Amino acid sequence: MSVPISQMWTVASYVLGQRLRGRKRYPLVLMLEPLFRCNLACAGCGKIQYPAHVLRKHLTVEQCLAAVEECGAPMVSIPGGEPLMYPEIGRLVRELVARRKYIYLCTNAILLKQRLQEGVFTPSKYLSFSVHMDGLREEHDEAVCREGVYDQAVAGIREALARGFRVTTNSTLFDGVNPVRMQMFFDEMMDLGVEGMMLSPGYSYSKAPDQEHFLRRQKTNEIFGKMLSSPKRRWKFNQSPLFLQFLMGKWDFECTPWGMPAYNIFGWQRPCYLLQEGYTASFKDLMETTRWERYGHRSGNEKCKDCMVHCGYEATAVDTTFASWKGLTAAARATLTGQL
Amino acid sequence: MSDEPASLEGWAPGPVDPSALTEIVERAFDYRGDVTLTLDDGRRIEGYLFNRDRDVVEPFVQVFLRGEPDPSTIPYARIHEIRFTGKDTAAGNSYAAWRERRQAAKAAPDG
Repeated sequence: MSVPISQMWTVASYVLGQRLRGRKRYPLVLMLEPLFRCNLACAGCGKIQYPAHVLRKHLTVEQCLAAVEECGAPMVSIPGGEPLMYPEIGRLVRELVARRKYIYLCTNAILLKQRLQEGVFTPSKYLSFSVHMDGLREEHDEAVCREGVYDQAVAGIREALARGFRVTTNSTLFDGVNPVRMQMFFDEMMDLGVEGMMLSPGYSYSKAPDQEHFLRRQKTNEIFGKMLSSPKRRWKFNQSPLFLQFLMGKWDFECTPWGMPAYNIFGWQRPCYLLQEGYTASFKDLMETTRWERYGHRSGNEKCKDCMVHCGYEATAVDTTFASWKGLTAAARATLTGQL
Repeated sequence: MSDEPASLEGWAPGPVDPSALTEIVERAFDYRGDVTLTLDDGRRIEGYLFNRDRDVVEPFVQVFLRGEPDPSTIPYARIHEIRFTGKDTAAGNSYAAWRERRQAAKAAPDG
């Protein structure tokens, strides 16, 4: 695994602190969406289908920072929409770095090279560009419904690495994915020099254009099992090894929908980053008034039945790591040996 | 609501019976386009209905009105009619269309 030690220490001490205080529910990563506007319209995305006057709106930096303070999570992921289209992305990142928040700026990287050349960002151990890459050139360009995006993203990654930035990738896998081609993709990303890769099966957004290619649970286990059963030592994953083992079918986790709460122009999204069942004005209201028992794999909720997405289960994996010797030893073994 | 069309775009179920209001608000909440609300004083407002809460003493909806920076909160009790007037931005299968275009381009002699 490739998460830097300082970040591991911050997360570990935060999780242990929450457990020592007896907090049953706590956030791990804030999913901060400053805007929904995007320069792509990917087949599997259900995030950007809004009227133009809504897409033109965005949070202010002050609203973003208030949400970060209110939530208190040690890590902030900035998805969207495309965050590099957010006019104040530079100031937002500087403010978050000053608050020592570990930032994953999730981008399709079309604008990355340009923003770096404009001097919008300064390298920091707190800032990582998490570049959306759904596979090799052919698969990625198909997933984002535009030719040439893979090459633009690679150019952005090279520029960021040359300037000393942390760069990771995030890949969403859909039905029809070829495990061997994905293994070739892992090699290619490692050759590029990224710090680590993040993987997740896609979620079947009801508003996404493509409704046919989302993975069901058994298929997810099969594909991740094939892809990761004998991982090369050089493949680095920037996520919990227990989460990857869960995707391979080695753990039976339940969802932690409050683990990665989402905040955007509508407010705090109930119950999670994927489902939109309403909004609350405060994080406290989200945590206290959401009927959490209605969500998760075992709840019987049809919308949660096949979901194995990182925003629900990565927090479970991290919590499990610190909740038992079994979790801790499994994570340590995977980290030390590189085997999943 | 048996006269509900396959796509809600353009749907105008008429003045809302209080017993049907909750369900029509749910449809409007799920709809990815603007709606027009007629209020009890006859005023019409158009915008994106992004939230509702019926589990409070005075149930309400929240709407981003066109041209307004901040959302408006409107009690259920003031809603006389809801019409689905804006384009449904989630309608249509752009992915299938893109794949067809891509495959056609690849099959072309110079593709």
